[in-house]
Amino acid sequence: MAAETHLVDVGALFAVAAVAGLLASRIDQSVIPFYIVAGMLSGPYVLGTVDIPALLGIDVLPHGETLALDGQSEFIHLGAELGIVFLLFFLGLEFNLERLLAARHRIGKAGSVDLAVNFGAGLLLGFVLFESLLAALLVAGVVYISSSAIITKSLIDLGWIANDEANPMLGTLVYEDLFIAIYLAVVSALVLGGGDVGEALGSIGVAIGFILALLILVQFGTAWFQRSLETDSNEFLVLRALGILVLIAGAALALGVSEAVAAFFVGMAFSATDHVHDLEQLLEPVRDVFAAIFFFWIGLETNPQLFAGVAGLIAVAVIVTTPTKLLSGYLGGRIYDLDERRSLRVGLGMTTRGEFSLIIASIAVAGAGGAIAEPVATRIYAFTVGYVLVMSILGTTFMQYADRIEAVLVPRLEARSGAVSSGD
Amino acid sequence: MTIYESDLPGVGKKYEVELEDGERLVIVTHNTGKREIYKKIEEDADSEKVFELSDRLARKIGTILEGAYFQPVQSERVETMLTDETFIEWYNLDPASELVGQTIAEAQIRERTGVSIVAIQRGEEVLAAPDPETTLAADDTLVVVGDRDDCRDFETLIGGDGGR
Repeated sequence: MAAETHLVDVGALFAVAAVAGLLASRIDQSVIPFYIVAGMLSGPYVLGTVDIPALLGIDVLPHGETLALDGQSEFIHLGAELGIVFLLFFLGLEFNLERLLAARHRIGKAGSVDLAVNFGAGLLLGFVLFESLLAALLVAGVVYISSSAIITKSLIDLGWIANDEANPMLGTLVYEDLFIAIYLAVVSALVLGGGDVGEALGSIGVAIGFILALLILVQFGTAWFQRSLETDSNEFLVLRALGILVLIAGAALALGVSEAVAAFFVGMAFSATDHVHDLEQLLEPVRDVFAAIFFFWIGLETNPQLFAGVAGLIAVAVIVTTPTKLLSGYLGGRIYDLDERRSLRVGLGMTTRGEFSLIIASIAVAGAGGAIAEPVATRIYAFTVGYVLVMSILGTTFMQYADRIEAVLVPRLEARSGAVSSGD
Repeated sequence: MTIYESDLPGVGKKYEVELEDGERLVIVTHNTGKREIYKKIEEDADSEKVFELSDRLARKIGTILEGAYFQPVQSERVETMLTDETFIEWYNLDPASELVGQTIAEAQIRERTGVSIVAIQRGEEVLAAPDPETTLAADDTLVVVGDRDDCRDFETLIGGDGGR
C-alpha cells in the first residue's frame, strides 16, 4: 500500500472528523463512535471501493481509491500513536495515589467487585468465543474497562457530577485506570513478545523493569519534574512537556514496552508537581486532536465487511457484558451506601466502553502473526471496534434516559430488597 | 453548618453545604477553574444546576459574599479565629467614641485592653500595621488581634453598642 500522505489528505482527515464531531454534538451523542465511523467511511474499505466515475458517468472525480485515506499512512499512524500517549498521559496526570489510598477502602471494594465480575466474565467470554488464552485475556480487558472519557463528560453534561452517584463512578474509574496500566504492560509484552513462552517472560521482565525504573523516577524525580517545567512561557512549557513525554514513550516502545504505560507514568510523575493545572489547560486541545486521529485511524483500519463475520460475537458480548456492568455498578453504588435508584445509575453509566478497549484492540493487531494468529487478531480487532461502537452509544443513551429506566426498574429493586422507599 | 468535601478524580472537587431548611448547595470546582453551582431540595434529591461561573467571576462573587465591600450588619462583630485562643476582629469606630481624634499611643489601647490594632480600614484605603502615632478617625474599621477577653475589653473601651 502506498503510505504517502499529502497535505490534502490530512486536511480531509480533519475536515471529516470535524463534521463527524458536529453531527455527534447535534444529537447529543459521544463523539468517539462518530470518529470511528467517519474513519471507516473514508477508509480504503468503503470510499476506496467506490467507483465514482462509473457512478456519476463523468470524469470530474477520480476513482475512490485515490481519494480514500490510508491507515497505513505514516502521519495518521503516528498521530494515532500520539493519541494513545496523550490519553494515557492525562490519565496519569489525574491519577493521584494519595487520594486513591485515602479512599482505598471504598474504591478498593467497589473496584474489586467491578474487576471480578467484568474481567471474569470477559475471560470466560473470550475463551468461549476465540478458544485461546491470550485472546481471552485481550477480550477480558476490552469488556472490563469502562470509558473514562465518555463517562466523565456525560457526568458533567447531565449534571450528575453534583450527585452522590458521581463518587463511586469516578472512584471505580480510578481503580480501572490503575489496573489497565499494569494490564497493558503485561499484555503488550505477551502479545508483542512473540509466541514463545521464554521470550514472553523475557519481554515481561523488560516491561516490569522499565515500569520499576519509571516508578523510581516518579517517586524520586518529582523535584526534577517540577524544575523541568519552571518557565513563564506557555510555548516552552508545552515543548518541554512534549519533549519529556514523547521521548520517554518512544523510548519505551523502542524497548518493546507499551508506550501507553510509559505515558501513564510520566503523567503520574507530573501529577505531583505544581504544573498539573497548566499542563491540563495547555495540552487538552492537543490531546483531543490526536485522540480524534486515533479514533479515526481505528475506523480506517476497520473493514466493515468483517462485522458480518463477528456480528454474532458482538451480540453475545453485548448481551453478556451489559448486565455484568449494570450489576457491578449497582453493587458499587451499594458499597457507597447509595439508595437503589442511584446505585442503578452507577450501573447504567459504567456500561459505556470506549477508548481503552480500542487501545487493547490496537495491541492485538500489532501482535498479529506473532503471538496471535493473523485471522484471530483481525477478528478480535473487528469484534472490539463493533463492540465499542455499540457500547459507547448504548451507555450514553442509558445515561440520557436514566429517568425512564429508573421508573421501571427501581420499584422492582426496592420490592426485591424490601427497602422502604425514601420518597422522591 | 456542615460542609461535605469530596474528590472528583479527573474533574475537580465537590463541596456540599447544608442550608438551613434542609436544602443543599453543591459547588463543583473544576480543575479548569470553572465553578458550577447546583441546588438540591433535600439530601436525596437530584441536583439542579443553578449557574456556572468562570474562575475570575467566581472569585469576585465570593468576595462580595464574604462582605469585603459591604458588611450589612456593622454593629455585629465579625469573628475570625486564628487559633482557639486568638481572634481577629473588626470594629467600627463610632463617631461618638472618645477614641476619635486620639493616636493609638494616646489611647493606650495595648495597655488598657491587650489587643493590637493590626490594620485600619478608612473608606477605600487600608492602613496596614499602623504605627502608634496614627490618629483614629470616626467610622474607621479597626482590625484587632487578641484573645476573647481582650477583645471584649476593647469593645467596651471604644464605646458604641458595647456600652460604658
